[in-house]
Amino acid sequence: MIPIEYYLILSAFMFIMGVIGVLTRKNAIIVFMSIELMLNSANLTFVTFSSYLGNVTGQLFVFFVMTVAAAEAAVGLAIIIALFRNKQTVSIDEINILKW
Amino acid sequence: MNIYDLIFYLFATITVLSALAVVSTKNIIYSAYNLMLTFFGVAGLYVLLGADFLAIVQLIVYVGGILILILFGVMLTNKVNGMPIHTEVTNIIPASITIGLFAGIVLAFFMNTNWKSVTTEFPATTIQSLGKLLMNEYILIFELLGVLLLIALIGAASIARKQ
Amino acid sequence: MSIEYFLNSLYLIKPEIAVTIFLVLIVLLDLFFSKKNHLLPFFAFLGLLITGYFVIEQFDIKGLAFVTNDSRAMVTVDSFAAFFKTIVVITSLYFVLLTVNSKEMDETHDRRGEYYTLMMGMVLGMFFMISGSDLILLYLSVELVSLSSYVMAGFAKTSERSSEASLKYLIYGALSSGLMLFGISLVYGLTASTNLYELNALIVVSQANSFVLMFALLLIFAGIGYKISAVPFHFWTPDVYEGAPTPVTAYLSVASKAAGFALLIRFIKVSFVFDKDTLGFWSSNPVFNWQDFLIVISVATMTLGNFAALWQKNVKRMLAYSSIAHAGYLLTGLAVLSDTGLIAILVYFAIYLMMNIGAFLIVILIKNKTGSEELDNYDGLGFSMPFLGVSFTIFLISLTGLPPTAGFIGKLYLFMALVDAKMIVLAVIALLNSVVSLYYYIRILKHMFLAKPKENSPKEELSLQQILIVLSLVIPVIFFGLYFSPIVELAKNSILMLGF
Repeated sequence: MIPIEYYLILSAFMFIMGVIGVLTRKNAIIVFMSIELMLNSANLTFVTFSSYLGNVTGQLFVFFVMTVAAAEAAVGLAIIIALFRNKQTVSIDEINILKW
Repeated sequence: MNIYDLIFYLFATITVLSALAVVSTKNIIYSAYNLMLTFFGVAGLYVLLGADFLAIVQLIVYVGGILILILFGVMLTNKVNGMPIHTEVTNIIPASITIGLFAGIVLAFFMNTNWKSVTTEFPATTIQSLGKLLMNEYILIFELLGVLLLIALIGAASIARKQ
Repeated sequence: MSIEYFLNSLYLIKPEIAVTIFLVLIVLLDLFFSKKNHLLPFFAFLGLLITGYFVIEQFDIKGLAFVTNDSRAMVTVDSFAAFFKTIVVITSLYFVLLTVNSKEMDETHDRRGEYYTLMMGMVLGMFFMISGSDLILLYLSVELVSLSSYVMAGFAKTSERSSEASLKYLIYGALSSGLMLFGISLVYGLTASTNLYELNALIVVSQANSFVLMFALLLIFAGIGYKISAVPFHFWTPDVYEGAPTPVTAYLSVASKAAGFALLIRFIKVSFVFDKDTLGFWSSNPVFNWQDFLIVISVATMTLGNFAALWQKNVKRMLAYSSIAHAGYLLTGLAVLSDTGLIAILVYFAIYLMMNIGAFLIVILIKNKTGSEELDNYDGLGFSMPFLGVSFTIFLISLTGLPPTAGFIGKLYLFMALVDAKMIVLAVIALLNSVVSLYYYIRILKHMFLAKPKENSPKEELSLQQILIVLSLVIPVIFFGLYFSPIVELAKNSILMLGF
């Protein structure tokens, strides 16, 4: 049996990769992919705990989070496309009428 | 080391390497395809953890839905003809310091914690118990998600369509 | 789980059901009668009034809805929730009025249906943020509010500033809700539960793992702190408030902040407080020192908000920083961890609603005439638009917290709660901050009344409706400054919360 720590460290790694992507990448779509990584890692944590605690509810939460992730992706990409129409760019550096 | 351990290491490697690639490659198309590999790796881990139904849903929703959406986003927002689709990296140093600290803390905490673990065997399939929970204790959330999807649909359509 | 149980629960969530019904009706009306969509604001207004009726009905009810067999409840109905829901409903009513009277929103009139649908979705999400008592429900309602407000912030989609604001809001929002979700997953791992009532008992048991728990709580606070724009999760606030259409800004600055505060208060009180003494001070679980943590956050929040506001040239951006500072004042009330502090927060929120919406309303009405929110374009407006000038003065004085306006009462109660708890240093810091805030609020007035008017500055032409809306905010701001016992009594009756 794989120890629970292995799964947790794996998901923490994914989470940290996601945060790095959000903080360092300039392209809004890659930032978006990084956010999906973060949500996936939280999901993996839920499933891990659900399995090791013998409690199915955790799996249900993953189900909910997937719905939210899909909704967020749809809205996010719509916003990115609307912005692209106005500015012809999705690079966060060039999005600077408002100061950060 | 039995076969399950080997499968775990296989999927874990796929997940780690592809997650690393998502945030580090310069080409946005490569990022997207690596993201797909990550989703596959996570789905495999779900199967190992006894979450068969979720593994299927993961493939359908993430690979079949979200990833396609992201690829469409890439196509609609990059002038693929003649324009480079490479992307750049910003403020790397402060970010890596923050992240390094963060990662250290997380690892230290996780290794030194006595996680509760119960060795109960899951039933062969979890669909039945998930369905019961969804329709009884979590019915409110289930309905709320319906509204959330409606709002997302209306919002996305309203903001993305041309005037 | 019997059918009576469901019906009972449905009876307790009548306001939420009313909102959902009107949400669907708005979609359908927009679909089938798109020629008559100028009637939709009235319809949304009506829907909010009906919802408001159900909310007020709940002031004396106490109950748990959607209780599972091991007595975990999804939704708590109590007067605390009713108070904050009332604030959300009143803000939404003003939001409709602000939208109708804003020229900025004219270009979006063919998308009214979507606009009010999103508003209803946001109200629903905020209701569950206020009364939910399960972390997963809270996460989902935060997401529901966020998704609708991302779209609303970018609703003027031909405007570059608006879509930029929307993207920034989205990136920060998704990041912080991702952090919150990871925190929730760790809490679930430690306690095998996400229910606030259960956490209260379980957290004590799992004290051995308190480091991971602290880490998880910090992550959860990231999600809530983003909603109430507390430092260091405030980065989005100035940009989004400046770029979003002004009615949306006003709405975000009051309603979604109120919902975030209600969530934070309920989270702390239900999950960590296990007793209170005769003076109303709470004894909280030693696993996480909320008091010190909140003091640090609140001092940082109000100081940064006030000092950054000093050199803003755009009135909306200045009001954004001022709203960060107000979040800081409100957090000091929570840091006291006592009933008096809680009363002070409720009083402050009721007053903050009037004065902040009022200030944004004046910004909208001025922008209708001048087309600008830059401070330099406010020169001399006090003379060409005397009514708006005087009203703005009253709102700004109230935001500073000077008598005889209601803002003074709000600050007074907060400071009294701080002194009561012998947190003199914190009270002094908050007081000094108010003095700093005086400077930038006065700067607006200086531009309006002391600077030379520009040539051909526009005349003040307000419709009767607009005058009435302004008066409906000005009069209470002065009235409650002089006769404030109704608000205080209401707040005192509303802090009775389930969870002990």
